[in-house]
Amino acid sequence: MTILMPEPDQAVLARRDEIVASLRKIVPGEGVISSAAEMKPYESDGLMAYRQPPMVVVLPSTTQQVSEVLRYCHQHGIKVVPRGSGTSLSGGALPLADAVLLGLGKFKRIREIDFDNRAVVVEPGVTNLAISQAVDHAGFYYAPDPSSQIACSIGGNIAENSGGVHCLKYGMTTNNVLGCEIVLMTGEILRIGGKAAECAGYDLMGVITGSEGLLGVITEVTVRILRKPETARALMVGFTDVEAAGQCVADIISAGIIPGGMEMMDKPAIHAAEAFVHAGYPLDVEALLIIELDGPQVEVDELITRVETIALGCGSTTCQISTSEQERLLFWSGRKAAFPAVGRISPDYLCMDGTIPRKELPLVLRRMTEMSEKYGLRVANVFHAGDGNLHPLILYDANQPGEQDRAEAFGADILRLCVEVGGVLTGEHGVGIEKRDLMPEMFSDIDLNQQQRLKCAFDSEGLLNPGKVFPTLHRCAELGRMHVHGGKLPFPDIPRF
Amino acid sequence: MDTLKVRDAQEVEDAVRAAIANEQPLEIIGHGTKRRVGQPMATNALLDLSALNAVTAYEPNELIITVQAGAPVADVLSLIDSKNQQFAFEPMHTALLLGTAETEGTIGGMIAAGLAGPRRIKSGGARDHLLGAHAVSGFGESFKAGGKVVKNVTGYDLCKLLAGSWGTLAVMTEVTLKVTPRPESERTLLLRGLDDVAANKAMTQALGSPYDVSGAAHLPGSALRTTGGALADIAQPDQALTLLRLEGITSSASQRAESLRAALNSFGAAELVADATSAALWRAVRDVEPFAASGPRALWPVWRIVCPPASGGAFGQALQRESGGEVIYDWGGGLIWAALPPAADAHAKALRQRVDKIGGHASLIRGADEIRAGIDVFQPQASGLAALGQRVKHSFDPRNVLNRGRLSRGPAA
Repeated sequence: MTILMPEPDQAVLARRDEIVASLRKIVPGEGVISSAAEMKPYESDGLMAYRQPPMVVVLPSTTQQVSEVLRYCHQHGIKVVPRGSGTSLSGGALPLADAVLLGLGKFKRIREIDFDNRAVVVEPGVTNLAISQAVDHAGFYYAPDPSSQIACSIGGNIAENSGGVHCLKYGMTTNNVLGCEIVLMTGEILRIGGKAAECAGYDLMGVITGSEGLLGVITEVTVRILRKPETARALMVGFTDVEAAGQCVADIISAGIIPGGMEMMDKPAIHAAEAFVHAGYPLDVEALLIIELDGPQVEVDELITRVETIALGCGSTTCQISTSEQERLLFWSGRKAAFPAVGRISPDYLCMDGTIPRKELPLVLRRMTEMSEKYGLRVANVFHAGDGNLHPLILYDANQPGEQDRAEAFGADILRLCVEVGGVLTGEHGVGIEKRDLMPEMFSDIDLNQQQRLKCAFDSEGLLNPGKVFPTLHRCAELGRMHVHGGKLPFPDIPRF
Repeated sequence: MDTLKVRDAQEVEDAVRAAIANEQPLEIIGHGTKRRVGQPMATNALLDLSALNAVTAYEPNELIITVQAGAPVADVLSLIDSKNQQFAFEPMHTALLLGTAETEGTIGGMIAAGLAGPRRIKSGGARDHLLGAHAVSGFGESFKAGGKVVKNVTGYDLCKLLAGSWGTLAVMTEVTLKVTPRPESERTLLLRGLDDVAANKAMTQALGSPYDVSGAAHLPGSALRTTGGALADIAQPDQALTLLRLEGITSSASQRAESLRAALNSFGAAELVADATSAALWRAVRDVEPFAASGPRALWPVWRIVCPPASGGAFGQALQRESGGEVIYDWGGGLIWAALPPAADAHAKALRQRVDKIGGHASLIRGADEIRAGIDVFQPQASGLAALGQRVKHSFDPRNVLNRGRLSRGPAA
């Protein structure tokens, strides 16, 4: 493991039996798991290269229990790592040796569906897809659709501010949640927002979303639901060079068209996907775009034609338009299976997640090819082309000594490059432990201190999910100290008008 | 009162540091169009950002614009309009309602106030369009939050806190905003004579339809009686107007308008207006023209009430009945602007009791200084949440030097 986690607190570990017994009093029966064998499934999340058995797993089923567990841990200085379905790709739910792993998997109920207010109230363990399924009969859905949507929980989606292929048009999680019930580390239960479009006071819902489980534990969520688009059609467009494909994306957007989805794959990704699912992808192109238009029939039909004209104008060598729902899904099948497809051609792969200004794509891909040669590792790229969110997949073999370290170094170089060209470290997977130590590439000490001060407003002891997101931990007292050397004169050196 | 007209971020930092050292809280202004919103402040000097007015970068193809906080909204809007783009949240132009000079204010003020217009129901608010910011905290430190790309989850999303914070957390010096294509055309269906509850039902049905409604407003006859402008041109005496907007490419907008008209048949025969006529109506709704400061309701306090949309009609109807006031509805019933007859507390107590029950909140957006000094201008929150809000304020501005006292009458904020 190249990423260091906080030193386990030996005093806490020494009290493990007592802690387990106390937790059993709060969450009876099977809600507390303490045997090594039974804790095994909780050792890791979607970032499977990292494993760590927790001190104990607690699976509460009521808000009251969550509150009591947190209050107990707060009183006794015990760290807590919250976990939803454990699909985080950045290690956000990686356990700590001296921490309680707090699983929200028992919070499975959809509490209320309110079509008139276009809102659904759910418990955090409900899967992303289950929300859409629950309102499907009335023609509604929940818009964010991370690729793990069949398994990932809405609580985890809030923690990570999850995206998906439809973000450019429909937004990320943060744009689609209205309110929550949250339990702070002290055990205090708060309700924020509700079915109104905005909450009173500071936008706490906004900052909790994407806070990676460091601010509080969500026990209920109110999400916004939308009417399903009347129809959707897709184009599959091939280009013999990446720059033309990038130009095509830019031209579509400058024509005022925001497609429901706009995905790009590079040659290695196309080949891997085609070999796996036989979607009919052209194999003689350098870049493939899948562009989906959704909305009313008449609009989709017209925009499809406009996009086709733009694609041909950019020199596409193949351009196919779906004529049936079956064909649309076929176009998508390769893209949706890109990760497992790459998994077939390599024993292991790392999935990166940076965002860049789209105009920098040709440069970034060129530099990535150079890095690939330098590190001696292959890379395949899938790309949410509309919003500039890159997912380079670095292929490696963990059984070869040094390859994992090389893959991680390669990944870090890619993310540094993203920041260098004006982008960011993560577009939708979160910082977690994976990109924690790269945070200074993007943020100064002052920037990070300000973020950590906010953490102090929610969790002054730093007990909730420590070791994630921030490379260096500071005590709240230290962060709150004011270093101002002001003169006696009011506002010296400032011009007056 | 001293005015510090700063020219760059470094001077903002200097001013805030001096304010901390000398315990002189600052009132932060751009063009000062919204100075009279909020509790009267306990500040000793003005920090004027209007000279930080440059457009740093505009990249239409990346769907972003980066501007300094003091950039005039009007200039920025005309710049992005030249590329057929817009801020999808339709920022409100407050001059008409507040009776201030005819400027649309600055970008910093637009974000700090976060007053979104009719399209919020479809496209979100100011908070959904602020991608990144440079700001000076109450520690006197310049920090960066967010980024300059449309998709980013790196670190806490501090931008969400800055949007709508009324300048109480940090002084924004530069912001990156998301811009989106301006729709090719728009159509508005007009229904006449519905009462508030029926109109709320019509709007709910429209917003639950697949026709992608981007505006749903209702103006009762009483609120139209005294209005001028675009609304007066189209209104009939004492007859309510319900407006439903469809935007997009022309063929789509007109076809959806027809489909929606058919679907809402039971609410009456809808009329149709298009493009410029439609746009003028929505501007009037966005800017709350019926309660203009130059109009007959100039002396009435004006509240902005945000609530679950399907509860709006019944709530507004009862509010009018009990207070003798007038209301207009936007966001399908989820936003109510209420002009209430003059009263010592601007009806705060009665209004808040009622709004609490439906899970909404009310802010006094227009009210005389002495009234604002005596009531909670913004909705008071439950104690735990209020305390967390205080801790958040403290985490940005521990000495309370930024817009001190603007958000609450409490001892510290």
